[in-house]
Formats: sequence, C-alpha cells, structure tokens
Amino acid sequence: MKKHTLLILALAVVLVMPVLMHSGSLASEVLIFGLAAMGCNLLLGFTGLLSFGQGIFFGLGSYTVALTLTRWPLPMPLALALAMVTGGLGAALVGWIAIRQKGTYFVMLTLAFAQMFYFIAYTATGLTGGDNGLLDIPRPSITAFGQTLWPLTSPWQFYGFVALIFLVAFWLLLRVSRSTFGRTLLAVRDNEERAGAIGYNLKLLKLQAFVISGAVTGLAGALHAMMIGIAPLANAEYHTSEMILVMTVIGGTGNLFASVLGSAFYLLLADWLSALWPRWLLLLGMVLMAVSLWMQRGLWGLGEKLWHLRQGKHGQIRDQTTVQGNKT
Amino acid sequence: MSTPILLEAIGIEKYYGKFAALGGVDLKVRANTVHSVIGPNGAGKTTLFHMLTGTKSVSGGRIVFDGHDVTQEPDHRRVQRGIARSFQVTSLFLSLSVRENLRLAAQGTAPTKAMNCWHEPEGPRACADTVASVLAKLGLESFASTPAGNLSHGQQRRLEVGMALAARPKAIFLDEPTSGMGIDDLEDMKCFIKSLRDEHTVVLIEHNMNIVMDISDTVTVMQQGRVLAEGLPHDIRSDDRVRAAYLGNMITGGKA
Amino acid sequence: MNIYLLQIINGVGIGMLYFLLAVGLSIVFGLLRFVNFAHGAFYLLGAYFCFQMTRWGLSFWLALLVVPLVVGALGWLTEKLMLRHVYATAHEFHILVTVGLALAVQELVILQWGPLGDSVAVPDILQGVVMWGSFVYPKYRLFVIAFTAVLAVLLWYLLEGTRLGSAVRAGSESTEMVSLLGINVFRIFSLVFALGAATAALAGVLAAPIRGAEPFMGVEALGVAFVVVVVGGMGSFSGALLGGLLIGVVQSVMSTLWPEGARLMIYIAMATVLLLRPHGLLGRKE
Repeated sequence: MKKHTLLILALAVVLVMPVLMHSGSLASEVLIFGLAAMGCNLLLGFTGLLSFGQGIFFGLGSYTVALTLTRWPLPMPLALALAMVTGGLGAALVGWIAIRQKGTYFVMLTLAFAQMFYFIAYTATGLTGGDNGLLDIPRPSITAFGQTLWPLTSPWQFYGFVALIFLVAFWLLLRVSRSTFGRTLLAVRDNEERAGAIGYNLKLLKLQAFVISGAVTGLAGALHAMMIGIAPLANAEYHTSEMILVMTVIGGTGNLFASVLGSAFYLLLADWLSALWPRWLLLLGMVLMAVSLWMQRGLWGLGEKLWHLRQGKHGQIRDQTTVQGNKT
Repeated sequence: MSTPILLEAIGIEKYYGKFAALGGVDLKVRANTVHSVIGPNGAGKTTLFHMLTGTKSVSGGRIVFDGHDVTQEPDHRRVQRGIARSFQVTSLFLSLSVRENLRLAAQGTAPTKAMNCWHEPEGPRACADTVASVLAKLGLESFASTPAGNLSHGQQRRLEVGMALAARPKAIFLDEPTSGMGIDDLEDMKCFIKSLRDEHTVVLIEHNMNIVMDISDTVTVMQQGRVLAEGLPHDIRSDDRVRAAYLGNMITGGKA
Repeated sequence: MNIYLLQIINGVGIGMLYFLLAVGLSIVFGLLRFVNFAHGAFYLLGAYFCFQMTRWGLSFWLALLVVPLVVGALGWLTEKLMLRHVYATAHEFHILVTVGLALAVQELVILQWGPLGDSVAVPDILQGVVMWGSFVYPKYRLFVIAFTAVLAVLLWYLLEGTRLGSAVRAGSESTEMVSLLGINVFRIFSLVFALGAATAALAGVLAAPIRGAEPFMGVEALGVAFVVVVVGGMGSFSGALLGGLLIGVVQSVMSTLWPEGARLMIYIAMATVLLLRPHGLLGRKE
C-alpha cells in the first residue's frame, strides 16, 4: 500500500460526506467516533489490548470541555487541549493499574474501572451533574483580534471544524502507528514474552499506548459534547465503551482508516435503520458475531479481498499468514 | 589462559510452591568460553537459564554479571547489561518479517528509542548493519522479507539464535538451539556456535552430546536442581557420578 | 426485627442467587479459558421463559424444571455451532462473539416481549411471610435460599464425585492430557457450557418473582457475575459460593448505609482482588 493511501482515503471521506449526506451532525459524529475508534484500535489492533474502558476517557473529555466552556471558562482551543490532557491522565491511571495483569484479567480490570467511573460520575453530581449531565455547552466561534473567523453555529459549520481537527489527528496517529514506537507495539501484540526478553519495557510501552489512546478519545468526547451541547452520563456507560469497541472491530483492526470505516458503518446503519426498525441493534449483534467468526479483518479486510479479486491477484488472498494486512 | 569470570551465580534457589526446582546452584562462567549445561530432563537447566537471564525471578541467591549484582533486575534490564537468550520452544514474532524480527532484537539494546512515536525506524533506528550481519551469519539473507511464521523449523531455530545475536550481547544463552534440527543443519549449527566464542561468551543447554563434547570449554552437569559435577568435557565424560546420573550410556561423544 | 439482621439475610438470599449466576461462568472459564460475555443473556432468557410459561398458565414449578433444560440446550448449541470456531483465534474474538450474541439476544427479547419488562407472580404456596417469634421473613426468599443450597450441594457432588466432574476438573488443568486419555474433550466443552447456561437460567427463573423480568437485567447480571467470579476465583466452585455470599451481603448491608456506594464498592472490591490476588480468594494459581 502506498504511503499516503490512508491519508487520502481519510481526506476523501471528509470531502464526500457533505456531498452525500443531509445531516451535518451525523457527519460530525462519524468523524468524532472515528477518532474514538482509532484510539481504541491503537490499543487493540496494535498492542493487543482489549479495553472496555474507552468510555471513561470519552466521558472525561466531555465533562472537561463542559466545565471549561461553562463554569470555569477557557478559550475553546485550550478547553479542547485540556480535554485531551484529562483523557490522557485518566488513561495513564487506568492503564498503569490495568497493565499489571494480562489477558482476560486485564480485560476484566478495564471493565471494573469503567463501572467504577460510571458510579463516580453518577454520584459526583457537583462536578458531573449526575444523571442529568452537564448542560448548555456552547459552541464558541473561532475568533482572532475580535473578528469572528469561523462561526460554529450551524451543523455544517461545526462539521468543517471537526473535519479539520480529525484530519490533523488522523495524520498524527498515522505517524505514531508507523513510528518506531508503533512498530514495537506490533511486536508486543505478536509475542509479548519475546518482546520483554529482547529488552523492551512492556509496562512503559503499553502505558504510552494508553496515554495516546486516552488523549485521542478525550478529544473525541470533547467534540461530541460540543456537538450535542451536553455532557451526558451516558458517555460513561458500558454501552459507550462497547459501541466504540464494536466500531473498531467491525471496521477492522488492521489499520487506522478501518476504524473510520467502522464508525461510519455503525452510525449510518443506526441512523438509517433505527427509524425503520427500533431493534436494529439485533442486526449489529449479528454483524459482530459474523465478523468475529469469519471476517476477522473486518470491513477493511473485506474490502481488501474484493479489491484483490478485482485485480485478479488470487494468490495473495490464499496465504493468510502474510504480514498482517499492511498495518501502514 | 583463564579469562576473567563474566557471570557468577551463587546459591541460586527457585521454589514453585513447595517444589524446589533449584536447590542452591553455584556457577562461574568465564568470558569468551563456551560453557555447556547438561543433565537429565527435569534437572533444572531451563529454570537456571530463566534465573540467569531474568525471565523469572529467583527465590534465593545472587547473580553477578560483569561486576554488577543483577539478581533483582527483570529480563529487559539485563538485555542492556549484555545478556541475550534464545528459547527452547521457538518464540519469534511470527507475523513479522525476518528482517523486522532482527531489527527489533537489535533495537532492544536501546529501548528508549522504541518510545519514539514520531520517527519511523529508519536510519539509526533501523540497525541496518547489525541486521545485515546477523542475516549473513545465519544464511537467511534471501528470507529477509519472509514472515517468520513461514520459515521451516530449522530456519526458525536459526532465527531464534539470531534474535539473541542481534543484541550484540556479552553473554549469549542458547537453550537447546539444535532441538528438532536435521543432520545437515546440526553440523552447521555446531560450527556456528563454536565461532561465537571469539566475540561472545556462550552458555549452552544441549542434549546433543556430540556438540557438547566437541565445542565446550567447560561442562556443568545438573541433576534434580543441583550441580552434580563441573569440569572439562573429557573429565565429565569419564566421571562416575555423571555416568550414574545418565544411567551410563549417554555421554559417549560422537553419537548424536 | 433488627434491620441489619434483615439485610444480612437478604444478602445471603441475593448471594445465593449470585452464586448460582456466577458458578456457570466460573466453571466455563476454568475449562474453556474464556469469559462468556453472553452469560447474562442466559440469565435473561431464564427469567423471560419463566414469565412466558406462567403467562400460558403453566405452573412456576414446571418452569423451574423445564426452563434450565431448554436454555441449557441453547447453550450446548451455541458452543457447538459457534464458539468452537473461535477457540483457535485471538482471545479478543472469543469475547467479542459472545458480546455480539448478548446484544442479539437482548434485542430478540425486546422484540418478543417489549422493552418495558413484566412481573412474575410468586407461586401460591410460597406467598406471604414466615413468622417465628419476632422473626418475619417472606416465604419465597427463604425458599430461594434453601433451594440454591440444595442445588449447590448437588453441583458440588457433580463436580467432585462423578466421572464427568473429574473429567471437567482434569480438563481445567490440561485439555491435552484429557484428550490423550480418550475422553472426548469437545463433548465435555459443550456439556460444561450447557451447564453454565442452565445454571444462569435457573438463577433467572428464581429471580423473576423477586425482581420481575426486564430486558436489561442481563447486562446488570453479567457485571455482578464478573465481580463474584473475580473475587471468588475464576474456575473455582467454592470461590463462586464464597464470592457470591460476600458480594450479596456487602451489597445488601451497604444499601442501608450508603445506597449509591454499594455498587461502587463491589467494583472497587473487584479491582482490588484483580490487582492483589488475581486468581481470587479461592482460585488456583495459574
């Protein structure tokens, strides 16, 4: 795969959505959850860590931006940056503790932490608004020298803003995934024991992955709060963590763009089907089972197969042991 | 003629619950020698390796390497000290290419560079020289881009040793490097291990007595978690206690 | 009656149900080495099938017998047709396939019975309270405690005293060894999984008259089951019992002292155990 293919694909998605879709909010959501899924993928697809705690960082981002745009006002860019910091710090804490265990025990720990965070958010009504959440989050326009440069009031105006942030974040994460660090993570995923035996400090590597994941997810949570105007308790629920995981897996853990595919698939399906059939989650559950059983490389893997079939490269598909689907 | 002692293990003990895998082992390994550890199954050879390389922690005793007390250090720290190992059961990064496997092993001696999330592993981070030289030594150049999982068993065993070499260690620990190898590969591996002595210190677990007797400078015999005998290959071959431990018929040298 | 005594007895009652809920999960983990995220779904089905049977005018007692068998059969089918295919893959897919299943089952339940939930009547003979001096307590809850206690003994006997049980315990140590001994390991996997599903469903049936049947009870139950299994020890029968009782009593007593804190506390307990003693209070070291 060429070096810039993924970035071009991401750009394509960003440019195509306003043309094909009616709802600016939905388009923004696709990018926002695309970011969250990428954060999850950094842990799952690259490091081999299945985390049920992504909702924690998403929620932290939402609450931070809510508080720093209403109660303790900060300029909006700073509020977003702070959301990344709290997401990253939360992930550092959860990660530092959860990493002490491996395999299933690690997964259960992330689950336990997610539940704890939910109940803390539920009871700390002073900070989080409890069941009600934090309301009336504004969308301040981007200003310079007193002039309004870019109002964010309409859905498509906000989309433009989200798209820009998304593309920058995508590019940065892509760099991380291709960096020395990203390559070392792949080794950790492949054979953790050997990675330790050849000199790598596993705890430090996993922790850094967690922090980056948490920061990106926090950013997504912040943008989400700005978009819907509230920081709801639901962001900290099990369902949010589950949803982000589902998007990541369905898209495919092979590369970062696949996560955007996953988020688009989930949200567009939800939007389209939920009006027709309230029980559309049934379909999603079945898709998840199908992917886990037969299509473990997700939608991206499916796309790759179809592409190769079209190109007539039958031989390439047969050998499943080739280097994991070009992580780049 | 005697080179300085590079590694000294004093009174190493390892308990799994009540079971004593190692009941007090002393070992002295001299620099630039091939030091073999042999013994019947269950003697504790691999456990000893785990203790020396830091793969698992000791229950008691001390380990001094190159003048430093490394007893409490985990395996990844000891790699920086100059200790590298291969595993009895092949443990490679199967989904990654041979070159990438070796690059990772070479990079492992400078792990802080692995935290770099901006730069791709090019230039110094590619460790190209080390990787190229190990590939050449192992004869795996034509397989550099092949995923490690696609190699034959013999090639994988060679790469297994290569992973340890790529760290340019002072002491290289090889755990049954020839296990499962065919006759053709065996001779090559024997000469190869012997050649390592010039630049490294080799600590070797082997069941193949041909290799042990031919290339070792020192042989330590273990039995049931303790050292039974230690000395030159010739002396060990004729030692009565060792004969008894092996039920008399395995230390014949020249037979695989 | 002393409120704390009341809460402790309630706690024991809840705890026994938690034990029944968790023991299946624990044994499945011990043998198959993966966590079944669809376990709560079997509990859910148990409660709803019981509800449906009472709707049809059938007795609760019949439901108590039939529902676990039906759900057990469903569990057996699930393992045989679906899970067997994922054993060889990365562990994340075991978990995710059961997550998908749980989601699908929950939606199917809502599709069939609606999203609001229904109540199940306590069977006639067990209605009302028992009075013994100043001790007043609902008959049904006492029945639950007694019944699950008997069941616990039966299960214990099954695991410790029968050949099947020995095979299961041996399989937990080494599936390779067991298959070399000529025992069909895969059949045991299916049986154990079915047993896990059946016990979860039984817990659902018993719980239905107390808290009704409601579509999201599966997710809630799963969370609790995880805590019990982790605290008690993954793969341990007695751990599930101890864990269940401990969590049940703690939750019950806390609900009078600090209601919101109760749920938080049990998850803190879970995290603490995972960190300090990951194999749980009574679990075996790996």
